[in-house]
Amino acid sequence: MAVSTSVLTVFTAAYLVIVALLAYYGYRKTKCAEDYLLAGRNVHPVVLALSYGATFISTSAIIGFGGLAGQIGMGLIWLTVFNIGVGILLAFAIFGKRTRALGHKLGAVTFPDLLGKAYQSSFLAKASAVIVAVGMPLYAAAILIGGARFIESTLSVSYNTALIGFAIVVAAYVIVGGLIAVMYTDALQGTLMAIGMSLLLVLTYIKLGGVTEAHTALTSMKDLVPEGLAAAGHAGWTSMPVSGSSLWYTLITTIILGVGIGVLAQPQLVVRFMTVKSDRSLHRAILVGGPFIMLMTGVAFTVGALTNVYFFNETGQIALAAGGGNADAIMPEYINAAIPDIFIVLFMLVLLSAAMSTLSSLFHTMGTALGHDLLKGKRADSQKITQGATLIMIVASVALAYVMPANIIARATAMFMGLCASALLPAFAMALFDKAPSKLAAKTSLITGGAVWFAWTAFVHVKESSALGISGFLFGKDTLMAMPWPVVDPLIIALPLSTLALVTMKLWESRAAAPLSKGDVEPL
Amino acid sequence: MLGIEDPLIWSGYLAMLVCTAACVIYGVKNWNKGAPDDGC
Repeated sequence: MAVSTSVLTVFTAAYLVIVALLAYYGYRKTKCAEDYLLAGRNVHPVVLALSYGATFISTSAIIGFGGLAGQIGMGLIWLTVFNIGVGILLAFAIFGKRTRALGHKLGAVTFPDLLGKAYQSSFLAKASAVIVAVGMPLYAAAILIGGARFIESTLSVSYNTALIGFAIVVAAYVIVGGLIAVMYTDALQGTLMAIGMSLLLVLTYIKLGGVTEAHTALTSMKDLVPEGLAAAGHAGWTSMPVSGSSLWYTLITTIILGVGIGVLAQPQLVVRFMTVKSDRSLHRAILVGGPFIMLMTGVAFTVGALTNVYFFNETGQIALAAGGGNADAIMPEYINAAIPDIFIVLFMLVLLSAAMSTLSSLFHTMGTALGHDLLKGKRADSQKITQGATLIMIVASVALAYVMPANIIARATAMFMGLCASALLPAFAMALFDKAPSKLAAKTSLITGGAVWFAWTAFVHVKESSALGISGFLFGKDTLMAMPWPVVDPLIIALPLSTLALVTMKLWESRAAAPLSKGDVEPL
Repeated sequence: MLGIEDPLIWSGYLAMLVCTAACVIYGVKNWNKGAPDDGC
């Protein structure tokens, strides 16, 4: 890379100055707790779309999932289909409008607050806040790791300096500026990401000799799939994995369905629907959001797979080998090696933006869950409590980033989204669409979803159960079930069961409350 | 199609474009619907 570290440092500093100005704007505009928590419920639709998209798309999508596409191929494009169809169209047009209306009606300011008020249940508010406060640091730590690794390799600083520095910068503007600062910086970062990813796609196809030529070259590399991956079902980078193989189950159940559906019950995304004052803003945001997500994940997954052609042409290695066996290293290696120097600065800012935009939203959501939903109680000074709680959650995330293993970015993202969908989605949907939502059904669903997700994660789904070690400690083996169950994602089991629990309890409660039959009715 | 032989992959790309177009069409068609003074 011919761009010197000092040049990159200067551009990074300039970028951080703009971020600081937007944080200051957020600080000045924040007059009350509702401003801090919900950006005053008056956000512009373009800012909403870019903020939602930039929060949704993090280093996980570009570095983690892009690297995964470099490893397992273009099948990830079906996740983009879900990202747009479910994550934008369904989320905004159906869930978003109901969420906005219900949030306004109930005066809810956070996702747990919305659930608690919709069901008039402090248990549901606190339980969902606990899920956020316990599960989200896992996701935040994965984003921190991805961002720090990139800063380490680009700015030539130590991993520790990159991790701590990155966390401090994001923490500063989240704590000071609240959601206004978060969403406006997101919008800036989303704009940079859209420009950068468009360029990345064009430059990659130019580098590889054209669209059809690049795809044809990738198709012809299928004999180079490593033996281990081929045995797991890898059939080449322009093919879906062999149906029913362990790789196929991972791609379909964990990556495409886990992340694709999980997005509907993501607290940091749901809260954004409550920041606009009308459905019109949501309609307009869809127009921006769909193409934005296509530019993000569609490009990342396509370029991720095509890095194999580049690395093979240049070094005779496939992308995974060029990344030292670490899928998370593929995209940074590719950008540093293949992209013309003149654009390196832009891509550094794109990846920094992707990490910062997601991380800032996670920090804000974790802080509000701990501060507003769990600790505040009846105290009036919720903003100070939330700011303190945000700091605590940031420290916890940084600590977690030090103990989490390598190659974790995509998996940690899928785990958090799976947990949210399993435990929260049925209760959230009932709160939005049922005129008389059942508190008992929601509680049963949340407990069932959370418990089944955890049990499957700890005792069956082998990638997590082997890492957690609980099953090994108690039963002497990493998984308690035979194939294919150890490669079926927890969401595939937990979400149907939590939905079934919700429906069963709702029907049971309706029957119990039904009027007596005609002959039993006592005369008035 | 365009160097991709597996129909499950190129149909994924096609589905991605259809979903994106649906977002654009929905946004344009409803551009002015749901304003605050509509009582929504």
